[in-house]
Amino acid sequence: MSLYFFNLRHGPGADGLAVDTEGDELAGPAEARARALAAAHDLIARTRLHSVRDWFTCAFEVTDAAGRPVMTVPFSDTVTEDDEGSGLA
Amino acid sequence: MPLTQQSKLCNRLLRVLAPEDFAQLQPYLEPVSLQLREVVIAPDAPVEELFFIETGMVSISTAHDERRIEVGLVGREGLVGAVPVALDGVTTPHVYFAQLSGEALSIGREAFCAAIRENPVLRRLLLRYVHVQIVQITQTAYAHASMSLEGRLARWLLMCHDRTDGDELVLTHEFLSMMLGVQRAGVTLAIQNLEGAGRIRAKRRRIEILDRDRLLALTNGSYGTPEAEYARLIEGA
Repeated sequence: MSLYFFNLRHGPGADGLAVDTEGDELAGPAEARARALAAAHDLIARTRLHSVRDWFTCAFEVTDAAGRPVMTVPFSDTVTEDDEGSGLA
Repeated sequence: MPLTQQSKLCNRLLRVLAPEDFAQLQPYLEPVSLQLREVVIAPDAPVEELFFIETGMVSISTAHDERRIEVGLVGREGLVGAVPVALDGVTTPHVYFAQLSGEALSIGREAFCAAIRENPVLRRLLLRYVHVQIVQITQTAYAHASMSLEGRLARWLLMCHDRTDGDELVLTHEFLSMMLGVQRAGVTLAIQNLEGAGRIRAKRRRIEILDRDRLLALTNGSYGTPEAEYARLIEGA
């Protein structure tokens, strides 16, 4: 298990990053990506924030316990994965 | 065991009682400690004990999912178990658990019910408190349905601030995420927004309340209504 931090990029610069200080213990990068997509999906579907006009411009910048970047998961990836093969435009 | 002295209590319901009314409950009050996350009333089990909160807070949350979403909050202003007992529900579908550890005075359901049957003053206080609790839960529904996460977080912080001493609340984003029923990243972002506007100061696992008035301005009336009803009906303001 490794610790992953899901920092939320919602705008440019330091003010545009909501830094995750708590993190989640997960088995590996695939699980981290799945967690990021699930969180993004839930935020898009159910959460309204003053400061976010469009969730689809946001991304999770995932880092490891040492603060090194592991991956970036754009919120728009939720659409691609959800709609694959669904036949919806 | 020595009897609990009314003048030394923090619980606002017990403090507001006339000495002779308090005396009717006094022999049955037992001091208990509430541990963090301890379930004080379990869903669908008969409510055998009620708890006058002295310090700490108890959350009333939905329980049909592993994800609990808070609908009500009880601290030193309140009596945990008042609604199911006063309204003869016997059990409740909700879970009541300590959200902040603390102390309480417990009273057995039978002794409590006997006292409110005999004493119209106690009965009236209980029913008024039940009204306030229902108003609080109604306002939670309003907040969930109509407000941004910043507004809901502001409401929640004000409610916690009312029920603790000092301006600093110790809590994790993970915990807030559970209470508000949103992703942790959403909580982190909402905290960042409140902090950027100087309403709070966030440190690791801590939130300091800096400006209550400006938090209040975000709550669109979802905070303050049950508090005003409490003042009007219970403390006679």
